[in-house]
Amino acid sequence: MSKRYLLIKLASDKPLSRDQFRIALTDSVRRNFGEIGLSRIDPKVVRYDGTGSRAIVACRAGTANELQAAVALISEALGTPIVPLVVGVSGTIKALGKRRPR
Amino acid sequence: MAKLIRIAGYSAIGLTIPTGLMRDRIELVKTVFEEAGLETALRIDLTASSRMDLLRLLRRFRNSYDVIAVKCTNQRVATVACRDRRVDLIIFDPTSRSVRFSHPLANLLRGAIEFNLVSSLLKETRTDVFSGIVKQCAIAREHKVKVVLSSGCNRPDQVRSPLQIAALASVMGLSETQSHAGVSATPLSIIKRNLAHRSPQFVEEGVRVVLPKVA
Repeated sequence: MSKRYLLIKLASDKPLSRDQFRIALTDSVRRNFGEIGLSRIDPKVVRYDGTGSRAIVACRAGTANELQAAVALISEALGTPIVPLVVGVSGTIKALGKRRPR
Repeated sequence: MAKLIRIAGYSAIGLTIPTGLMRDRIELVKTVFEEAGLETALRIDLTASSRMDLLRLLRRFRNSYDVIAVKCTNQRVATVACRDRRVDLIIFDPTSRSVRFSHPLANLLRGAIEFNLVSSLLKETRTDVFSGIVKQCAIAREHKVKVVLSSGCNRPDQVRSPLQIAALASVMGLSETQSHAGVSATPLSIIKRNLAHRSPQFVEEGVRVVLPKVA
């Protein structure tokens, strides 16, 4: 099944671990779309750069809007306030890697 | 906050300015955002208690601001705000029981309706907010009214990218076209139109001064 990849820029006061981000992401998808939505969207953190605060998250094709909405509604990760910004959506990780940060 | 907005992918923002703020303070706020590479448009959110009150506020502020938004607090104000061409944006509180965006108002609407998505949805109790926005989106979609999507943020932690805001609106029930236009073409066209109206060359609708080109 084809996938979509989201490039997410994370802004937070404290550095965030991959697991903290994964839990916050899964919680937000579950809270907003339920268990069925979670299994349909199937979000996976593919790459995570804690120092550069960038993450690439995969989801099923056709559910990118739902995942972006769920990411927009994350306001904290295990008590740490974060601002997750989706800065790109693509069908391949390679294309996302080419995007230059502003 | 300005840097974060730039990272999020915006090129221009609307600054909601309190009416009493001094001109030099306004320029200072604008400079902060312009130094981060953002174009700024001044906007004002008018809250009126009656029809006459709204008309008085519009007469007073129309020429001083780039964008005029009206918060609809009751049915009479909502009707005037939808009908008056000086109003660019109307805003409804999704949880309000006294006034809501309805089919007759959608038919009357000349400007655009604004949805403050992120600031409304990041609140703790949001089921009724969700429900209100979904109803408003359904009416906006049915009548194909112009929609402006905004984060409505007043704190850095409420900043979200245009992609996310369009996705949220799409999930709420707006069409893909409407939701993408809501963060790009529609707000830009409002600002361009109002800047043209405020330029010295503008005389009236369809009439402007054109100076001869110097050879």
